[in-house]
Amino acid sequence: MKVTKEEVAYIAKLSNLMLTPEQAEKQAEEFSNILNHFDTINQENLTGIEMYSFEDEPLRLRKDEAIPFKNSDELYANTKSMQETAIKIPKVVE
Amino acid sequence: MDVSALSIKDIQLGLQQKKFSDVELVKGYLDRIRKYDKDIQSFITLCEETALEKAGEVDRRIANGEELGFMAGVPVALKDNMCTNGIKTTCASKMLSDFVPPYDAGIVEKLRQGDAVILGKLNMDEFAMGSSNENSAFFKTKNPWDLERVPGGSSGGSAAAASAGFAPITYGSDTGGSIRMPASFCGLVGVKPTYGTVSRYGLIAFGSSLDQIGTFGRRTEDAAYALEAIQGFDPKDSTSLQKGYATDYATSMKSGIKGLKIGIPREFFQEGLHPEVKDSVLKAVSLLERQGALVEEFSLPITDSGLSAYYIISSAEASSNLGRYDGVRYGYRTTEFSSYEELVIKSRTEGFGDEVKRRIMLGTYVLSSGYYEAYYKKAMLFRQKVKKLYQSAFEKYDTVISPTVPVLPFKLGEKTADPLAMYLADTYTVNVNIAGIPAISVPSGFSQTGLPIGIQLMGNYRSEETLFKFAYSLEQELALDLVPKIGEVK
Repeated sequence: MKVTKEEVAYIAKLSNLMLTPEQAEKQAEEFSNILNHFDTINQENLTGIEMYSFEDEPLRLRKDEAIPFKNSDELYANTKSMQETAIKIPKVVE
Repeated sequence: MDVSALSIKDIQLGLQQKKFSDVELVKGYLDRIRKYDKDIQSFITLCEETALEKAGEVDRRIANGEELGFMAGVPVALKDNMCTNGIKTTCASKMLSDFVPPYDAGIVEKLRQGDAVILGKLNMDEFAMGSSNENSAFFKTKNPWDLERVPGGSSGGSAAAASAGFAPITYGSDTGGSIRMPASFCGLVGVKPTYGTVSRYGLIAFGSSLDQIGTFGRRTEDAAYALEAIQGFDPKDSTSLQKGYATDYATSMKSGIKGLKIGIPREFFQEGLHPEVKDSVLKAVSLLERQGALVEEFSLPITDSGLSAYYIISSAEASSNLGRYDGVRYGYRTTEFSSYEELVIKSRTEGFGDEVKRRIMLGTYVLSSGYYEAYYKKAMLFRQKVKKLYQSAFEKYDTVISPTVPVLPFKLGEKTADPLAMYLADTYTVNVNIAGIPAISVPSGFSQTGLPIGIQLMGNYRSEETLFKFAYSLEQELALDLVPKIGEVK
């Protein structure tokens, strides 16, 4: 399967990533090789197989209880810019 | 003191009989790390001070006759994708290069409760994506058996450190072979347990339906003991198994393999397999047969499509899991931006390495409208097929044996230009994760040039006990010298 650099650029956009035109070209070639290999799966007979099967491990639910985090200062220590308990980002609404 | 070849049992006896203190022991390991890790480069973070403090506490408590945990005084080191409270956890990525978790992963909690001594955090391929450790954003770890070669990946730092004797055991994670592959390349026992055996709470997510934490050691007994220390139910991981955990692997593994059945899948011995690897694995199988196991060849036609299904599913899950890194709450944030969109896009583009970006994009592609049916859905259907094929294999066989990696440890830079060539190194390991079954890589010998070769033992769900029996039997029969002379090829 051949992937074009325009398609790669579009996928990059969907992934919130930026590519230079040279990178997009290189990625298009690598993508084509990888997707060619992925085509092996098209030769498999997959009729009659159900996609999901939960029979082995039934869904377990726990009580919806809030557990306060004991040290909120540590929790926020990894944040780059804070104002009280809010994380600062550029304005999203004018 | 010389710690290069100590087992966990040696450490426990030594501490008990007061042959050495835990502080002396830990200093021994730190000295060895200082001496050799400048060449091997396995540690991202070395926790010298806290390790010595913990060792001092263990010594005091032994002197006071207090009861200690399961891992009392045993030095361990962890792959840098397991969250450690107050200790930097980077995932070998620029994205998390300054991330200090405010909590411990489930496994770290268990190790601390067990009174283990955490020596530090180990290098890996960025976000566990890679098979050579060359995708680390920081530096490339070398194989202790030959410093010009890769240790394998993605838990390459964990493998290199255990092999070099920087700790008697180390921990890694395995999404498609990331424990077994480097274990094979570094001459170690590498255990990927049944999915759900070890809590994934606090393990930085890559492919959540495939990720599983496991162990490295030079001996089966050490790797199994290390697993016993961390296995068990964790309510914080909804996929954690509630019960049915075997204990005391050290005793059960010694009961022999007489009458147990081995299946040899012929598709795992075909084109692309290095002849020396093939010979070594078949020789190991014949040794197991000599010990009373019954060997039969059968067909398991999953290698080609399995590799595709694995890369489709794991990349799809990664594209979703890594969506959280947006430069807003934690992780790398770009310096110049004027809008929220620019902040996110620039932070991700600058913070992630090439392979991580490639996987995110592959995942986005196979999940996108128009391609979902062609790739992701088919991969998920094939996943069910793989599970069923393994299920019927394990109705007949106690273990299915293959090589762990089709090639010998390769040179640094040898496969970096071609991502597909690198992916092909995972051909024999990925299906185990797709099915969720356990598998162990055990050393089977060395190439003519002295490079380690590994054999992969796969088993049915929760059959770790049986796999350890095979691993232990082989180890006893082979009696290999697995302490590398660092920097020299044998």
